[in-house]
Amino acid sequence: MLLIQDVIKRYGALTALDGVSLEVKAGEFFGLLGPNGAGKSTLMSLVAGLRAANAGTLTLDGAAITTSDPAGRLALGLVPQHIALYEELSADQNLRIFGQLYGLHGATLKERINEALAAVQLADRRKVQVKKFSGGMQRRLNLAAALLHRPKLLLCDEPTVGVDPQSRNAIFEYLERLNRGGLTIIYSTHYMEEATRLCSRIGIIDHGRILALGTLDELLTRLPFEEEIRFPAGPDTAPLAARLPEQGELTTLDGTHRFRPRPDWKLSAFYQLTESLGLPARLFTSQRPTLEALFLHLTGRTIRE
Amino acid sequence: MRIILTLLGKDFANLRRNRAALVLTFVVPMVIIYIVGLVFGLGRKDSGPTGIPFALVNASDNPAAAKLVAALLAEKSFHVITTFTNPDRTERPLTEADLRPLIRDRQFSYALVIPSDVISDDRLGLHLKILSDPRNDIESQIVNGLLQKTIFTSAPQLLGQSLQARAKKFVGGPALGRFNHDIAQAVAQAFGGDPARIERDMAQGDFGLARATAGGPAPADGQTANNDFLSKLVQIDTEQVVGRDVQSPAATRIVGGYAVMFLLFALSNSAAAFFDEQNAGLFQRLLASPMSRAQLLWSRFLYGVLFGLGQLLALFFAGHLLYGVDVFGHLGNLVLVCTCVAAACTGFGMMLAAVARTAEAARSLATLLVITMSACGGAWFPVSLMPEFMQHIARFTLVYWAIEGFGAVLWAGDSLGQLLPIVGILLGTTAAVMGIAVWRFNRSPLFE
Repeated sequence: MLLIQDVIKRYGALTALDGVSLEVKAGEFFGLLGPNGAGKSTLMSLVAGLRAANAGTLTLDGAAITTSDPAGRLALGLVPQHIALYEELSADQNLRIFGQLYGLHGATLKERINEALAAVQLADRRKVQVKKFSGGMQRRLNLAAALLHRPKLLLCDEPTVGVDPQSRNAIFEYLERLNRGGLTIIYSTHYMEEATRLCSRIGIIDHGRILALGTLDELLTRLPFEEEIRFPAGPDTAPLAARLPEQGELTTLDGTHRFRPRPDWKLSAFYQLTESLGLPARLFTSQRPTLEALFLHLTGRTIRE
Repeated sequence: MRIILTLLGKDFANLRRNRAALVLTFVVPMVIIYIVGLVFGLGRKDSGPTGIPFALVNASDNPAAAKLVAALLAEKSFHVITTFTNPDRTERPLTEADLRPLIRDRQFSYALVIPSDVISDDRLGLHLKILSDPRNDIESQIVNGLLQKTIFTSAPQLLGQSLQARAKKFVGGPALGRFNHDIAQAVAQAFGGDPARIERDMAQGDFGLARATAGGPAPADGQTANNDFLSKLVQIDTEQVVGRDVQSPAATRIVGGYAVMFLLFALSNSAAAFFDEQNAGLFQRLLASPMSRAQLLWSRFLYGVLFGLGQLLALFFAGHLLYGVDVFGHLGNLVLVCTCVAAACTGFGMMLAAVARTAEAARSLATLLVITMSACGGAWFPVSLMPEFMQHIARFTLVYWAIEGFGAVLWAGDSLGQLLPIVGILLGTTAAVMGIAVWRFNRSPLFE
């Protein structure tokens, strides 16, 4: 459905996207995961036709996406990162304006507005000014405004920033329902749990490049370890920690050792070692690698501004 | 105390970082003080207006009339025009017939005619004629005051001649000559002096009235008394060439000036809201729909024009209700000029949004430019009161042409054809500022 090939986007000397290629198939829930400044929003804006690429091509169902073809945007819906609503106006007035921009009018527009408001649980607040809504309600309306014209592809650019858990869950459920109904969604986020819960396929982007692409399981196999064992850092465990670097990767964070054994080193050997050092089993917890671990592994731990 | 000092430091650090606040705090007031100071002649030894265009036609060959002309030419407040430029660029002396069309064309607003019968043996006193377009009430009062001063200072000799002419008519030339001779002898005998010179002065009408009007050991109100006396002997025919039917000339100017100033503020503020919409991601949402940047910009422009038109008409209707400004007599042309002014002001606001980098920068730049343009362009006081170089600068401001347009409609009652030059300037200004705005917007990240 969406094909992005060798796309480069520069802002002066800064290369925001550096040869990005990916394909999103019809009906997919595609997650675009990356730290701040990775290039997610730039990529979303190129797909939305808001910016032009310096090189490469973007096509939607075979038709090129350009900044000069407004009609081509009928197939797209964009949920901006910010709450892009007229806050002095009511929910109903906002949806009427955005619906009309997509050529909806009359009974059709009214019906779509009713549907959208019901779907985001705001039907009873339709006449209320948006500025009087809570953050979560505004986010839900922000989403509804992008769906009135029933796009084929929905672009969600970090749509749950600053949202309470209830509203976030309502948004997730609505998006999942839409996706099950056949809507293709590209979901940009830096929340791992969102990508883990929602996305059938994930692309990890950083410094303008796609670092990893695939299903969650496919991505996790790219980690050079399968299991991680955690135990507290302290004088009791110091002899164990001293011997582990030979057998795998040991990191220490916030007073906790994290040990990822070499693939050829069996966990039974680890527990034999702890027993020989007289360390009780309750000190150790074991967990499978996560998307967060992969993300940090690929993008590093340096804080991004 | 440490806490207070910390908070104090924070406030000053914030102020230092906020360039918009600094501009509004220091630069804007300084600019206003400078402009107002120029208008009122602060810092100059010779205060008062300079260079008010003033036409003068001298149809008399009387040497004393030439003295009056010389006095008017020497008056720094006037830029005296005595010649008419033909289409082939040659010049000829102005005639009275030239004056009315030129006043209607706003080449100048005041003219003095010294007719060939400035002194006549049919009547006592002088005959002068003033033609005017008192569009600017303040300027009009100043010009009248200056004219009175100049005429009454230079008129005494003309009055003496008038007395001689009347006497000559009644008693005949030889008898008047004998009368002057006898009086000169008597004056010389009683007070001293050269009797021949006294007789010559009397024949030329110089009875020493100029010295009397110049003051001296007179009572406190002596000057006024002399002027009252002289004013009875000076017959000035006044003719208002333009705006005869206008009920409230001052209101016409004041309402127009302040209306355009507040429109500029409103539209500049609205343009700064561009940044608020960008920050809210609204442009992203709008431009992700089947809409082009051009449609977005032109819709904003159209909104600004309609908003401005509404505001201007509302203020003129208020002027009508409060001060009797004749809105309904010229409604069609007023709507036309208001539309052009609103278009130019909207374009100006959009240009500010296009060149500024932040909403704060746009707002502070707008405040600086709107206040400066309003002061220089004549919204607060007539441009003619400013120094000549300021008057030239005024013509480059939107406010000046807006006020000219309002005056042309409400004061002069200009026809559509007569309004075309001003309409052309306003629309040309609109095209220029919108051209800059669109060019800048196309290179701006505002819509991305």
